[in-house]
Amino acid sequence: MHKILAVIRREFVTRVRSRAFVISTVIGPIIMILMFAMPILLSGNGGAPKKIAVLDAVQDGFGKLVAQRLNSEMRDTVKRADPRYDAMWVPTTPDRLSAVRDSLVARTGVRSLGTASLDGILVITDSALGQGMIRYMGVNVGSPSDMGRLERSLRSLVIGGRLQHSGLDPQVVLGVMRPVDLKTLKVSEGQLTAESGEASFLLAYAMSFILYIALLLYGIQVMNSVVEEKSSRIIEVLISSLSPFQLLLGKVLGVGATGLLQLGIWVGTATLLTSFKTQIAAMVGASPGAVASLAIPTVSPALLVVFLLFFILGFLFYASAYAAVGSMCNSPQDAQQAQMPVTLFIAAGLFIMFSLLSEPNGSTAHVLTYVPFFAPFVTPVRFSFSSIAWWEVLLSIAAMVGGLLIMTALAGRIYRFGILKYGKKATWGDAMKWIRA
Amino acid sequence: MSILSLSHVTKRFEGHVAVRDLSFEVPQGGIFGLLGPNGAGKSTTIRMIMNVITPDDGSITVLGQRASRELAPRIGFLPEERGLYKKMKVLQHLIFFGEVKGLSGSDARSRATAWLDRLGLDQWADKPVEELSKGMQQKVQFIGTLLHEPELVVLDEPFSGLDPVNSRVMKEAVVDIARQGRTVLFSTHIMEQAEQLCDRIVIIARGEKVVDGAVREVKREAGTRHLRLGVTSGQDVARRILADRRWALSLQDHGTEWEAELAPGAAPDALLRALVEGGAGIAEFGVEDPSLESIFISKVGAEAATAMRSEEVAHA
Repeated sequence: MHKILAVIRREFVTRVRSRAFVISTVIGPIIMILMFAMPILLSGNGGAPKKIAVLDAVQDGFGKLVAQRLNSEMRDTVKRADPRYDAMWVPTTPDRLSAVRDSLVARTGVRSLGTASLDGILVITDSALGQGMIRYMGVNVGSPSDMGRLERSLRSLVIGGRLQHSGLDPQVVLGVMRPVDLKTLKVSEGQLTAESGEASFLLAYAMSFILYIALLLYGIQVMNSVVEEKSSRIIEVLISSLSPFQLLLGKVLGVGATGLLQLGIWVGTATLLTSFKTQIAAMVGASPGAVASLAIPTVSPALLVVFLLFFILGFLFYASAYAAVGSMCNSPQDAQQAQMPVTLFIAAGLFIMFSLLSEPNGSTAHVLTYVPFFAPFVTPVRFSFSSIAWWEVLLSIAAMVGGLLIMTALAGRIYRFGILKYGKKATWGDAMKWIRA
Repeated sequence: MSILSLSHVTKRFEGHVAVRDLSFEVPQGGIFGLLGPNGAGKSTTIRMIMNVITPDDGSITVLGQRASRELAPRIGFLPEERGLYKKMKVLQHLIFFGEVKGLSGSDARSRATAWLDRLGLDQWADKPVEELSKGMQQKVQFIGTLLHEPELVVLDEPFSGLDPVNSRVMKEAVVDIARQGRTVLFSTHIMEQAEQLCDRIVIIARGEKVVDGAVREVKREAGTRHLRLGVTSGQDVARRILADRRWALSLQDHGTEWEAELAPGAAPDALLRALVEGGAGIAEFGVEDPSLESIFISKVGAEAATAMRSEEVAHA
């Protein structure tokens, strides 16, 4: 035990004192603060309203309505509400349509014109109400959110226009067509949280990403540490005093403790930031109400426990695999190549998670909860969506522990032979032989 | 009582036998040399003694037990391939070595500090290992081997790559250990080092033992003693006497100074008397034991004295 502690302490102390650790530990919170403050700072100058010409070749009142309606649309920013569009009604006749349109196009997206420059042109012909076909030409057609918003506004206008044509009172139509603004709030375990759906999505995203980075970063550190001992032959001194198992355990725990410390610092900073979000926002000049509208997730203690638990289990699982790979290599260059299979599994975990975000309760998500390779990604995220029962979490932990035992048994066997094997690089065939030996 | 014993130990690697049916005993106390050319199987033998690798056949008893990690606190091991954690500070590194050998942190610290003083490295205690020269790193590793005051010290090629000054400092330390009643086993392919330090030796070549015993006995048994002779007058008489096969096996005449190989049974005092009584004027008469090098060459042949295989093959 004393010896394992010596190995743990060595791994921990040399790592924590290294410049790389200090830098990455400090940079994490800085990025978090930036991510937090950026939307507030940026929203202050979210750009001028979009200048749109509504080119109306029908002149039956519909085009005018479109222009009015666009002008009334507001955009919420953190500091104040701004008009979203600056719409201009341009009446014309069908035979002059293309000429006028061309002259408007010539003024669109031309920076030298300054404020006289247009952002886009809506062309309204008689097919607008009949077939629901409206043409839009503009500089922002590549932005899905801009186009989605415009399409939603036009859809309701078209429906309203049709209703009006069939003889309904314009006032009634206006009342009927008032748009819906869906405000989401997350419910967790019978408790209404102050969290929006956007925020919980962000949280799941951030968790997966932090897990991915931490597993990769610290897993590879374990591998490099094994390779260093092997290529420098320190292993010969160590192995005459420690068993391979003691050495491997000490190494994995030492590096793991470093990772946990770093994650702790990051998570602690994030918790502090979110609990003082109003004060911080005030410092950059945003109102408390505006802060509430930002997608800042709250992290419950239970989620934190589940997240850290799955980080630890996932780390032990992948670190053993990385250690086995390291023991098969003689140089850092060898290891760079040999690590690929393990790294791919971690990357797959991340991408699987992204694809599951849309359906955290689907059957794939259910199955992957019990696959040790992916459970560290899937389970905390499902937990954060409250789409998992407690017994499922426990079962997932059990599966993870089972997988971990198998992985350490296999990796330990490879490691035991690998660390003293010099000469040519070991193949997976050799590894299979060592596992059976 | 022997502190280390190998009995019919064999180790095979893919395609070749590194150590074949090797048996020897290392008595407690003193300095024991494991000699042989490069690739003879010295390092393989030492790795088996240290339980880094296990023999295919035969058995090894260390300190009265089967070789195992339990013995680690009682053995110090300097492997042939030196390695240290490059980024670690020298003193921290030595404390770590002490701790994995079972020392407490504070014991390890005070002993390491004392050793660094003794070997003139006290200025370097807080420097990272990578800033040290190769020779200094070797001394650091040597300290790591001795920190826990082991009963048995196993050194694989301990003096290779050191300058004469550092080499002498380490040799003195080795002699010191032996003087305290502890045992040192070291391997070398340089026979002069063994000649200076060892009480007993084993010479192996191609993985097999060729010579085993106390250095004095090995030399006596080797027989051929070297005679250095200065004859001032009566050279003819002297030449006739030395031509007799009962006295000498060969004679080289360099003018005033002659060299001869004494015949196995010839007593130096009887020869001297015969020369003087025959009327030869003797200015110089010296008999030297054969060097270990000459014994080695005569036992295994000159071609075996040079590397037969690269060390890497033996390590594979």
